[in-house]
Amino acid sequence: MSEQVSEQVSGVSLRPPRHRVDPRAVSWWTVQWLILLVPVAAAGAAAYWVLTERPPWLGVVTAAFVAGCLALAVGAPRAYYRTERWEVTDEAVYTRKGWITHTWQVAPMSRIQRIDTARGPVQRLFGLADVKVTTASSAGAVTIAALDHRLAADLAERLTTRTQATPGDAT
Amino acid sequence: MTGPTRDAAGPTDGTVGRHGGMAGVVEIGWRGLAGRSVAASAVKSLALAGPAVIALIRIFTGSGWPMGGLVAACAGATVLIVGGVAAYDVARLRATRWRLTADRLELHAGMTVRRVRSIPRDRVRSVDLRADPVLRLLGLTVVKVGTGEHAADGDELTLDPLTRDDAESLRHALLLRPARGGGRGHQDHAGNGGSGEDSGDGGDAPLAELRWSWIRYAPLSAWTFAGTAALAGVVWKAVDNLGLEDLAEQAVGPVWDWVADHPLPAVTLLLAANLVVGALGATLLFAESWGHYRLEREPGRLRLRRGLLTSRSLTLEERRLRGVELSEPLLLRLGGGARVKAVATGLGKAAENETEDVGALTPPLPRPLAHRLATTIATMHPAPGPDTRPAAGPGADTDADTDAGSGAGSGAGSGAGPGAGPGAGPGAGPGADVDAGLGGAGLVPHPPAARRRRLVRAVAVTVVLAVLAGAVSWLVPLPWLRAWVWAVPVVTLPVALWAAVAGAHNLGHALGRRHLVARSGAVVRRTVVLERAGISGWTVTESFFQRRAGLVTVSAVTAAGDGHYEILDVGRGDGLDLAARAAPGLLEPFLLR
Repeated sequence: MSEQVSEQVSGVSLRPPRHRVDPRAVSWWTVQWLILLVPVAAAGAAAYWVLTERPPWLGVVTAAFVAGCLALAVGAPRAYYRTERWEVTDEAVYTRKGWITHTWQVAPMSRIQRIDTARGPVQRLFGLADVKVTTASSAGAVTIAALDHRLAADLAERLTTRTQATPGDAT
Repeated sequence: MTGPTRDAAGPTDGTVGRHGGMAGVVEIGWRGLAGRSVAASAVKSLALAGPAVIALIRIFTGSGWPMGGLVAACAGATVLIVGGVAAYDVARLRATRWRLTADRLELHAGMTVRRVRSIPRDRVRSVDLRADPVLRLLGLTVVKVGTGEHAADGDELTLDPLTRDDAESLRHALLLRPARGGGRGHQDHAGNGGSGEDSGDGGDAPLAELRWSWIRYAPLSAWTFAGTAALAGVVWKAVDNLGLEDLAEQAVGPVWDWVADHPLPAVTLLLAANLVVGALGATLLFAESWGHYRLEREPGRLRLRRGLLTSRSLTLEERRLRGVELSEPLLLRLGGGARVKAVATGLGKAAENETEDVGALTPPLPRPLAHRLATTIATMHPAPGPDTRPAAGPGADTDADTDAGSGAGSGAGSGAGPGAGPGAGPGAGPGADVDAGLGGAGLVPHPPAARRRRLVRAVAVTVVLAVLAGAVSWLVPLPWLRAWVWAVPVVTLPVALWAAVAGAHNLGHALGRRHLVARSGAVVRRTVVLERAGISGWTVTESFFQRRAGLVTVSAVTAAGDGHYEILDVGRGDGLDLAARAAPGLLEPFLLR
């Protein structure tokens, strides 16, 4: 759904950033979602089994709920993977993210104050890392999620060198 | 205790302060806080002693103590509390020392744990002075020195309290720095030529000064409606604390009976009383907050002074300003008034017991005046061109904010060359742009889809409420509730529709030579005038429904104020085009045309 979206309306639109995130991100996100949703689904099923008289209609509803949870855990990461993109040019960092709400972010090199890489516990299992680009704004950082951890380290290194070479005081 | 600190105080006009290596740099050697602080603390501790005495009286009246014993106990408690607080303050004062060197302001404090705070002088961005009535009577002032870094803890250094003279000369010493490199020569003159006291402020007329006729806007605030309830809560709490609730219940009881007997006149009367008390409260609050209000321009900075009882003074460097915001809440808007707020970097959060926003530059005032003032403030900062920037800014992460103004000329690094840069406009142009934008005439309206979106949302909210009302009236066995619950969606519909239409009507944006103007809001209409050079990135969001309507929300990311300012529900092509033009070179490479 994502590639064609921008081109549907004539006139100016934002082009998708050049690079996709690492394909392993799909597995990572799936695991994350499963960690979140399996307990929810299990709690629903357990509540049905223990707390109710187990009427068949409620059984159908519970089954649908469990199936919905699992479908979301499997489907959402794939949807994310299609929209998550990033690009670093000489002038700026450019990202796109979001599944239902699309968000594009541009941060110019001259305003970047800090570059961090972050790796969560599950993320580490998949050899992935995030690169967080912080500007002086309190509105939040631009995050390039789920890159191969070596690529992320390289990128952070490159960005740091580049922002130091760019004149300006980052406000 | 009072002796040594008094001797040390009063370094006016650089007579005590030595002149360091650089000409004009005032240094102040180690010294303590004002010794008179002990007196202030003792007076304030009476507020603690009072309730304690009342509590003692309450506890012991019933227990058959002789009158003399009771008086002695009360006196003892008072002496103990006042003495304890005073002793604590003496210890605190003894433990606190500060000095101003050529490079840094240092503070050593803490009785048990020694803490050393030190901030570089060239990072100082604001100096706030604040004196409550007790401190004012004693000629004392609390000084807060801010580095203008982002809302992080501990970027403020507080000297509580200094004598008024000390505070004033420290303020001058900190903010009147000699020129370092280009672009700040004007401050040098003021620093050396002036006596260091008020004559250094220059003889300019203030940008704005209080006119008591503005007090007519005071009741046009939410306080008028909510203030009475808040006041009643405070009064009740006080009554409760003093243990007089039985008495109060006896007094309130008959009133309540009367209300129950005559519901209609009582409700009318109560509403009227609510309005009167609320309006009175709002007026008093206005008088306290904005009495002695004066906004003036000093070389390179703005100084705001206000407060009838508690005096406050905020000094803001102009190069921290990234624009202004015109705020028009519904009632004030209907009454023809508006307020002006600063969009500046590193203003931090408001103090807890402060009644005004930190960025508030004016009280509610007549709209034409607000427009004029906003235009003046937005355009006075001489947005330096890219060439005044230091040759290289190594370590953008460490040098944050030290040279806010000079770096502001860069929209996108090398992308904003001289001439293409937003700072290229001459002085007269941007003023006209901003003024037209503030008035609304110069704003580009947003597409009809934005209005449709709001109307659909209003109807959807009403439908949800109607469904809930239906559920309530079906399930709840209270007949009066069943009937009245339908009033909720019935009342909601017109209000929501009005808000939708007004919200869509208020949407607008404009691009001036130096500024980006964005307006939105149904109940509180905000018009933000943001300096284009202050834009440090873009975020474009497009929700599912916006995508179908061909709309986007473009938000300009900035280091100042809220951190980002949104242009809500603008047509996709227009919005992206606007963003591309507002900060040349930044978004352009990522656009498909």
